[in-house]
Amino acid sequence: MANIENQIFSSYQKNPELYDEIFDSEGKIKEVYQKLFDIYGEHSISDYVNLNSKAKASFFNQGITFQVYGDNDVQEKIFPFDLFPRIIDPDEWDIIERGSIQRSKALNLFLWDIYHDKKILKDKIVPIDLITSSANYLDQMNGVNPPGGIYNHISGTDVIKHKDGKYYVLEDNIRCPSGVSYVICNRTALKKALFGVFNHYQTHTVTNYAENLLELLESVKPKGVDVPNVVVITPGMFNSAFYEHSYLAKTMGVELVEGRDLFVENDFVYMKTIKGPEKVDVIYRRIDDQFIDPLEFRPDSALGVPGLFAAYKKGNVTLANAPGTGVADDKAVYTYMPQIIKYYLNEEPILNNVHTYHCSRPDELKYVLEHIHELVIKPVDEAGGYGISIGNTLTKEEIEKVKLEIKESPRKYVAQPIMSLSVHPTYIDETESFEQRHVDLRTFTILGKDKEFVLKGGLTRVALKRGNLIVNSSQGGGSKDTWVLKK
Amino acid sequence: MSNEYKITYKTENTYDNWVNNAYWQFLIIPMENDTQHDVNVEFSNSLFADNDYSINGFGFKTIRVHPKIKFKQINFEAQFSFIKDDIDPFDFPLDLDDTLANERIKELDFKIDFESFLKRTPLTSLPEGTSTNFEFNSANSIFENLQNLNDWTFNYIQFKAGVTQVDTELKDVIASRQGVCQDFTHLFCAMSRKNGIPARYVSGYLNQEHGLIGDSQMHAWAEVYIPLVGWKGFDPTNNIMANTNHIKVCHGKDYKDCAPLKGIIYSQGQNKTKYSVKVQSQQQ
Repeated sequence: MANIENQIFSSYQKNPELYDEIFDSEGKIKEVYQKLFDIYGEHSISDYVNLNSKAKASFFNQGITFQVYGDNDVQEKIFPFDLFPRIIDPDEWDIIERGSIQRSKALNLFLWDIYHDKKILKDKIVPIDLITSSANYLDQMNGVNPPGGIYNHISGTDVIKHKDGKYYVLEDNIRCPSGVSYVICNRTALKKALFGVFNHYQTHTVTNYAENLLELLESVKPKGVDVPNVVVITPGMFNSAFYEHSYLAKTMGVELVEGRDLFVENDFVYMKTIKGPEKVDVIYRRIDDQFIDPLEFRPDSALGVPGLFAAYKKGNVTLANAPGTGVADDKAVYTYMPQIIKYYLNEEPILNNVHTYHCSRPDELKYVLEHIHELVIKPVDEAGGYGISIGNTLTKEEIEKVKLEIKESPRKYVAQPIMSLSVHPTYIDETESFEQRHVDLRTFTILGKDKEFVLKGGLTRVALKRGNLIVNSSQGGGSKDTWVLKK
Repeated sequence: MSNEYKITYKTENTYDNWVNNAYWQFLIIPMENDTQHDVNVEFSNSLFADNDYSINGFGFKTIRVHPKIKFKQINFEAQFSFIKDDIDPFDFPLDLDDTLANERIKELDFKIDFESFLKRTPLTSLPEGTSTNFEFNSANSIFENLQNLNDWTFNYIQFKAGVTQVDTELKDVIASRQGVCQDFTHLFCAMSRKNGIPARYVSGYLNQEHGLIGDSQMHAWAEVYIPLVGWKGFDPTNNIMANTNHIKVCHGKDYKDCAPLKGIIYSQGQNKTKYSVKVQSQQQ
């Protein structure tokens, strides 16, 4: 096989069970990666050891760090950056981009509906429990018309490539999705480390995110405002994503503020400046709903602005994302996404949902009981991964136990096929070599008034532990520069 | 017939230490509705801070105050004058056939439209496995059932101030069977919702000139939605229908949506608060 000659990949082990994004099933390098593969092959592994440590230092020096909560000694950590980029060809990207927009728009229409006429509930497409049992449904948003009709201005859609080669959505993040700053930093870091590789590919830029974000935020300005004043509000420098908040404010050229920098008077929002109060029209908020206004929501919140919600309700300020958006960012709502897309857009979903079996439905229950070994069983009402059983890791006794639990209270459980995330060659420190690691992709979609934008790139997250399927940064994940090629 | 009302609301707040920053939100203005009109509001505070007229998250009128100086004492005084029309709580045909109404409350559309006032909140949830229950009798009309519920609640709880707090849950109320108007109202709402009838918590003032029981501050009662009739007020603390003596400020799912005063005070140490509410009426 040809690739053995490539010294970088000489020890690369290909597990035939996994979907490798750069090698086909016969072990041949895929065409789009050929050039990259050749260029990387011109270097020795010691070059990568060197480049890797330089890249790490660069991230530290720029302060691109995050913290893991719950550790006793809170440490600034970098989000490990991998030197081998991921390439997405134009045709595949087209599907991802159209699919991300479709989901974001459908979710936006869903949010409008459940805070207005609630037609989708009355037509029995989704059950009423989705609202009554959700802690994120805000009664205060009933009948409120957000400026421009937009709720989820910024969405982060998590997609994976399954071993069947198709993309599946795992999650829609529409509260305060983070990670976009890493996308841009990863590009910069790779350019610094291996500039030459960019000469051989026509790659879309990712540095246009901030200008598009600003433009679309300005498009949803409150009525009667000519040139809106936009700010980014952060919980503060101790928040794990503070770097991103400051980065976005800086690159948009707007102020980064904390709650105490703002005040509300006569239902308008003002920023304290050395030149006196300055009216604020659009707030990109990176604070959760419950903390935005202590007079309306959690009274112990020191992060918010007293009176902010009244100003919002009166239409004098735009909040992005809108309060109450979190209700659609829910495990239970996710399972209805294909129906939600069809209902509002009259379109077939472009991106696949991971199929969900509801054990409350007798025929689906039968299937689940017969196929437990190939399914993930999830309780519908537990969060944070609690109570999840992965079928192929269970012993015979455990399978019987799970079956019994499901039969006892079928309404409590849903089941999904075990998804196998694709793998991508990733430089591993400990072995000083490239190895297969699971990856996912978070895309960033922005909705404005009659406009939308998807960042042509997105954040590829890597599970750095061998065999691990969890890519979250708090779980020891890393990330890769992601190239979307021009047509 | 109508009444000319005058309500005086006063509060005095004294702090051991300097308060450097504080916000207050008052939800105490009588609302304008079918029976309450020409509401005139006078509000002042002893620090001469701006009184910001605004709304809460549900659209009811509020006053927010944020003094820009440090202080150890602040007093607020509000005067409301308005006209309250006489209410006849029985202004609908009492012999109404309930067949339609009973069908209506079972419909999905109804459950969706009134979802806010049918759901359980932490303050209107009955404890798991409690034997305390009030079941509607299908032989009676919805209205009769609600009247019986009013009576049942009135007899279940003994009015006693100081036993419960504003955030006391029903499990504690059921255990002690003592409480004040908000406890009566929470229990009434919980039972009404359990029987499929939307119920909302109402905060307001009670004219006690005629011997009705209430707090010396603000009062609470419930409004329930009877299909084909509309929202009707029940005061379980007094076992009556809400009438001309009930002056409504706002409604919500429970006390939490209606707290008359919210304060965020940045200070250390103890504080003392005194309230007084005076309700006067004059028949016109």
